[in-house]
Amino acid sequence: MNRTEFFLGVTAMMPLLLGVIPFGLVFGVLGVASGLSETQTILMSSIIFAGASQVVFAQLWATGSAYLIIGSSVALINLRHVLYSAAVSEHLKKLSFKWRVILAYLLTDEAFAVSIQRFNTHGDSRPVHFFMFGAGSSLWIAWQISTVVGVIAGSTIPENWELAFAIPLTFIAVVVPLLKNLPTMICALTSSLIAICGQSLPWNSWILFAAFGGILLGALTEKWNYSR
Amino acid sequence: MIWFVIILTGVINFTFRLSMFSGFRKIYVPAALHRYVAFVPASVLCAIIASSLVTFDGQEITYELEKLAAASVAVACALLTKSVAATLIVGLVTVWIL
Repeated sequence: MNRTEFFLGVTAMMPLLLGVIPFGLVFGVLGVASGLSETQTILMSSIIFAGASQVVFAQLWATGSAYLIIGSSVALINLRHVLYSAAVSEHLKKLSFKWRVILAYLLTDEAFAVSIQRFNTHGDSRPVHFFMFGAGSSLWIAWQISTVVGVIAGSTIPENWELAFAIPLTFIAVVVPLLKNLPTMICALTSSLIAICGQSLPWNSWILFAAFGGILLGALTEKWNYSR
Repeated sequence: MIWFVIILTGVINFTFRLSMFSGFRKIYVPAALHRYVAFVPASVLCAIIASSLVTFDGQEITYELEKLAAASVAVACALLTKSVAATLIVGLVTVWIL
């Protein structure tokens, strides 16, 4: 165990926890409010361990969506982890399988963001997998604790606090910084319009139509912009 | 059944995370996947944001003015602070006041 790298990872993660902890609290509260049991909500945080997708899961579960729709929406949101996995694998080729499994499990947006910087600057000279382990495990702990606190708090929060509204608000905080170019804005606009108009589609399948519609138009706009 | 869905989605997610450094074989990410995946978060999250603010069933548009106002305030707050906690609190307080 290389403590220096481990604690550098923990330290690098600290500022990002400011965004993670409220998200975990919201998920804990909403998980129970959406009709999941306390155990299901808490364990989901370690079984799925992916913030936005867990909130989407709770939201779709609350509105009585088909299992297949829930599962495919969650998978779609988490598809980006394949890209992270590819990017970190370049730097972690020599690790044992056990290490790969642990680091893969801890691979999140935040852990990826801080680790890939360290890998690029010190990947050849330092045992940087300890850095990623430190960053990933501190996020994991914060996520589990904030979920549990959210679950406990959720049972004491009065219903007229409009907490269900916390879902779109949290997502606004995540999405707004992403909307910095035309293709992403077109993508957002398309998926929003499909979602608004598709509410009467069966099994809540609007979520998938909206998602794919947005992705397609976003990618097409980008391609068109690029080829011009 | 719900447990099955939770565990299955967990396994799928773990498989995504392990996919490229499993060490079983060398796999390459197709360039097209990069292009499409970049749009996934904006697309899925905007669909959920939009549908919780406004719905249209072919004849009637349904919305709550307080929530639209609170969402606009939250967008401004997210632009300025880029903070989940601040956006959440400002948005919720706005909807409580109105």
